[in-house]
Amino acid sequence: MQKHNQKEHLYKLLVIGDLGVGKTSIIKRYVHQNFSPHYRATIGVDFALKVLNWDAETVVRLQLWDIAGQERFGNMTRVYYREAMGAFIVFDVTRPATFEAVTKWKEDLDSKLVLPNGKPVPTVLLANKCDQGIDVLMNNGIKMDQFCKENGFVGWFETSAKENININEASRCLVKHIIASESDPVQSIEPDIIKPHLNSSKIVSCSACFKS
Amino acid sequence: PAALPPAPLGFTDVNLNSRNTYEVSRRRSAPEHLPHGGTAPAEPAPPPQEPAERGRHRVGIAGAGSSFAEFFTRNFFTKRTKELKPAVQSAPGWKLFGKVPPRENLPKDSKIIQQEYEARTGRMCKPPPPSARRKNIEFEPLSTTALILEDRPANLPAKSVEEALRHRQEYDEMVAEAKKREIKEAHKRKKIMRERFKQEENIASAMVIWVNEILPNWEGMRATRRVRELWWQGLPPSVRGKVWSLAVGNELNITPELYEIFLSRAKERWKSFSETSSENDTEDAGASVADREASLELIKLDISRTFPSLYIFQKGGPYHDLLHSVLGAYTCYRPDVGYVQGMSFIAAVLILNLEEADAFIAFANLLNKPCQLAFFRVDHSMMLKYFAAFEVFFEENLPKLFLHFKSYSLTPDIYLIDWIFTLYSKSLPLDLACRVWDVFCRDGEEFLFRTGLGILRLYEDILLQMDFIHIAQFLTKLPEDITSEKLFSCIAAIQMQNSNKKWAQVFASLMKDNKEGDKNHSPAPKS
Repeated sequence: MQKHNQKEHLYKLLVIGDLGVGKTSIIKRYVHQNFSPHYRATIGVDFALKVLNWDAETVVRLQLWDIAGQERFGNMTRVYYREAMGAFIVFDVTRPATFEAVTKWKEDLDSKLVLPNGKPVPTVLLANKCDQGIDVLMNNGIKMDQFCKENGFVGWFETSAKENININEASRCLVKHIIASESDPVQSIEPDIIKPHLNSSKIVSCSACFKS
Repeated sequence: PAALPPAPLGFTDVNLNSRNTYEVSRRRSAPEHLPHGGTAPAEPAPPPQEPAERGRHRVGIAGAGSSFAEFFTRNFFTKRTKELKPAVQSAPGWKLFGKVPPRENLPKDSKIIQQEYEARTGRMCKPPPPSARRKNIEFEPLSTTALILEDRPANLPAKSVEEALRHRQEYDEMVAEAKKREIKEAHKRKKIMRERFKQEENIASAMVIWVNEILPNWEGMRATRRVRELWWQGLPPSVRGKVWSLAVGNELNITPELYEIFLSRAKERWKSFSETSSENDTEDAGASVADREASLELIKLDISRTFPSLYIFQKGGPYHDLLHSVLGAYTCYRPDVGYVQGMSFIAAVLILNLEEADAFIAFANLLNKPCQLAFFRVDHSMMLKYFAAFEVFFEENLPKLFLHFKSYSLTPDIYLIDWIFTLYSKSLPLDLACRVWDVFCRDGEEFLFRTGLGILRLYEDILLQMDFIHIAQFLTKLPEDITSEKLFSCIAAIQMQNSNKKWAQVFASLMKDNKEGDKNHSPAPKS
């Protein structure tokens, strides 16, 4: 974990949101610095690793879990939430329905995953494809800051994987909050962050328990 | 002017094609020669064109020697008219472009064609053999400039005798070296060509067996050892769709007419969907309609993300509408399953091998198999049974890697979901995926998991060196250079026997355990 006085953090981040909002594109842009309009649909989960030299003493390794967006995969992919330290919830500004699904994704995330200190994991909202002009945010007259506050997002960014807008910024914002939440003094002794009992009424069988 | 060679010669297509590409590119590089060649259909066989290239090349180098070049070109043209006729007569059908008049000796033995072709490529690619042409030009490798041989311009002192001799010697060495290299390359080309021909002959002879012997006696022969072995080798592309259809069967008794009915229903729905796309309307109609329309939208989003590199399923591509139709008809046929991601890949592979209605029939029946139904309905407890059965054979076959994965809590759902949902069509190169499908059609679901173990075996040494995130990345994006020989030998080495229990028995006993009580069998989560 440390090389002399250098600290290394490993964080698992989730990237979730409706199908086709650009989760894979955002990750490819962030990690590989490129963009293609021809990514294949993600089935299950894809992975990426990003190493950040956070400051002189700290290296941050981000494990990005790119999770398939189809609602049907719900029970199957929630297993992947385990031990995540932060999340991006992505929607597509050109498709209002994907924004409507944001609260659903957030509620679902919070119901299945909490930090050791009992708080929800830091989550940043990404309004992707902002290069395409059609601004659903303005059209609906939603005050995004207000929305974030009400729904427990630590921040939001208009992003474009295509034009490389705000993706690094969004990531720095999320990592900053994760580091802050880690130094939160209210630490739970219980290391298992899965709380299956909380939502046993929702899921028929706790999928996480089958995992080892 | 593309008259394809008639069917009996079809199996030499690959070589003809590659030959033809060469020709086309050469034509582009030397467009000034086109008019001389006359109209396309009457275009002469390429070999005589070669001297023209050489001649031109020489003009560029020699500069002052234009008279020589002129002579040479003239020589070439007279030569070509002489060569033209015999060339066409001796090699029927080896020409892709231009009309090949039918001849009585048309169904030529492939070997003869091969020999003729090789003789021809020999003349094309190798330095000119000791023939009449040698009288005109010394052997000259394509890449050397021969400047070294030139006398100095008149205003400079001439080379001394020693210098001239040395140059001569150096030049000879260069030529010898180049000659050696070119001969070596020609041998290599020849070897590749021979292998390719052998492969093609195998495919051609397998095709004959499939068409003449197996397909007419399908039920009687499908389970015989001989057929099963031939099947393992991979199905010839021309019978692939047919064999898949027969092997998958049609338990659901779907007819092409039924497909048309569901397709027209889907089309009506698309129409009304695009007419009333305002959200208020859908909310009134209740959740099920909203779901279905969501399904339609998902299909649209996914189609363009299906084999994007092929550029045929994308909007405007030749198979875009077809894929849309098959998936749309399926959501109308099976609203209980609907559209699930991964389906677009399966439908696409079927469309590439079958006619539309047959592709639909195979698609619906394939998705009706227990394993596919469990996955596409996202029946999580069933999926976990499949993963557990997979792990039984994983531990049995690759104990070291199994422990390595365990130590990172790397569970099969991380990589198997993608593989099983798309039947490997997303993670493996398409031709290799088709070979997996071949044997999947022969052996059933067991082979899907066996293939997964084959992949793990193939990359075992690499995976053992990796940590969690690198394994996960590796397995969700397999190397593109994976070859069928290597993969299939690894799959063949996977034993699907666990203490005398076969896959089906292991799976059945896991299902039984499930009924007798889950608690005993759910391991505590490791962190």
